[in-house]
Amino acid sequence: MSLTRSQAILLLLGLLVLSLLQACDRGPQRVSRSRLLMGTVVEITAFGDQQKVLETAVSEAFEAMERVDGLMSANRPDSDVSRLNAASGAFEVTAETADVLALGQHVAVVSGGAFDMTLGRLKKLWGIEDANPRIPSAADMSAALVGIGPQALKIEGLRIRKQTPTLQVDLGGIAKGFAIDQAIEVLRRFGVTHASVNAGGDIRLLGDHQGRPWRIGIQHPRNPQALLATLELDQVAVVTSGDYERFFERDGVRYHHLFDPHTGRPAALCQSVTVVAASATEADALATAAFVLGPEAGLRFIEAWPQAEALLVAADGSLVLSAGLKDRVRWP
Amino acid sequence: MAVTAVLRRMTWLDRVIVMALLLVTGGSFAMITGTPRGARVVVQQQGRVVFSAPLNVDRTVTLSGPLGETLLEIRDGHACIISSPCPHKVCIGMGQIARKGELLACVPNDLLVSIEGQQQKEPSHDLLSR
Repeated sequence: MSLTRSQAILLLLGLLVLSLLQACDRGPQRVSRSRLLMGTVVEITAFGDQQKVLETAVSEAFEAMERVDGLMSANRPDSDVSRLNAASGAFEVTAETADVLALGQHVAVVSGGAFDMTLGRLKKLWGIEDANPRIPSAADMSAALVGIGPQALKIEGLRIRKQTPTLQVDLGGIAKGFAIDQAIEVLRRFGVTHASVNAGGDIRLLGDHQGRPWRIGIQHPRNPQALLATLELDQVAVVTSGDYERFFERDGVRYHHLFDPHTGRPAALCQSVTVVAASATEADALATAAFVLGPEAGLRFIEAWPQAEALLVAADGSLVLSAGLKDRVRWP
Repeated sequence: MAVTAVLRRMTWLDRVIVMALLLVTGGSFAMITGTPRGARVVVQQQGRVVFSAPLNVDRTVTLSGPLGETLLEIRDGHACIISSPCPHKVCIGMGQIARKGELLACVPNDLLVSIEGQQQKEPSHDLLSR
């Protein structure tokens, strides 16, 4: 069949119109919502074809995070953590809290106690989160460290037993990561395959960013307006722990919220640690542990953990990077 | 007139092509110039928008929260918190924001400041880990 000149031109025009319509198509829908949760800004972004499904998925993901906060916040009197802290004998917690405690204890053991969920008394003593933070006396710090450590909690399924009745559990170094993972699970249940959950800079990514890796800027620890690096990632969690997040200064010395359980004082070997891991729960705990261990031991610790990578900034500002990140990092 | 003469000489197919090209050109122009240029500052409290203003108009805004008054400054296309009753001033330390999706928050004073509107160019990163 042969086309006349007129038919050929009309066909070409039709194709032009079709391609223009294609270009005007808005493509996948994007829903992005922010809320204040767990003491920080949580932003959930989800991509998909159906706006309504995305709206519902994001809303339920926030509810899942609120539930985790209700179970694991030490500031809520009815939470698992508050009731465990008040208990003198064995106490039964929910499955979610038991899972977090079990993973946290594993990280605590493997890190040689650098990660510690039993620093509740020490943290209260310093009051970094309070209106009037203070530097405790050496005697008070020593007293607050008695009975802490990986062996301080005995976990048997849902039953948790504190080895010392006065022990105070604080899940600040892991609960936020777990809440992020729970939000991601909700999004998955709704069929969402491309999304991000960002809780104050602790992030988990679902899929890629519409056909390319997500570009995750890493905050420079000494310049709030600058990026240290950009990581190109997908389908992972990325969490940064830094001495610039919550701190106070006294006589020119910075006292921050990441404590070394061996000394009772803020860990001094790093400015920041960024960990990339399969889940945000792991990344959250690993970042705290590596920060306390310092750049050399912290790097060894992260490289020994399955599917984990790290970018560590030492106290002098020098950088170390795990082997698996070298091809995914971009410097400014 | 020359235009009339040209129109007379045009076949129906010529006219269809000219019309199509005009539509394509007009559509492309509308797509380019229709992009909103002015980003806005939006302040939320307990999930409700309590203040909104264009980012390109300088001003200082007093926002009330449970702890007292927070001062938000919009200047030279950037927004930042310059005064806050919160204990650690983390919100002030967060610096300036200007790009769509960026956030400032004062958790103790229950204020969430965000930038909305169209970005001028592709940002260097999608999310910030800190």
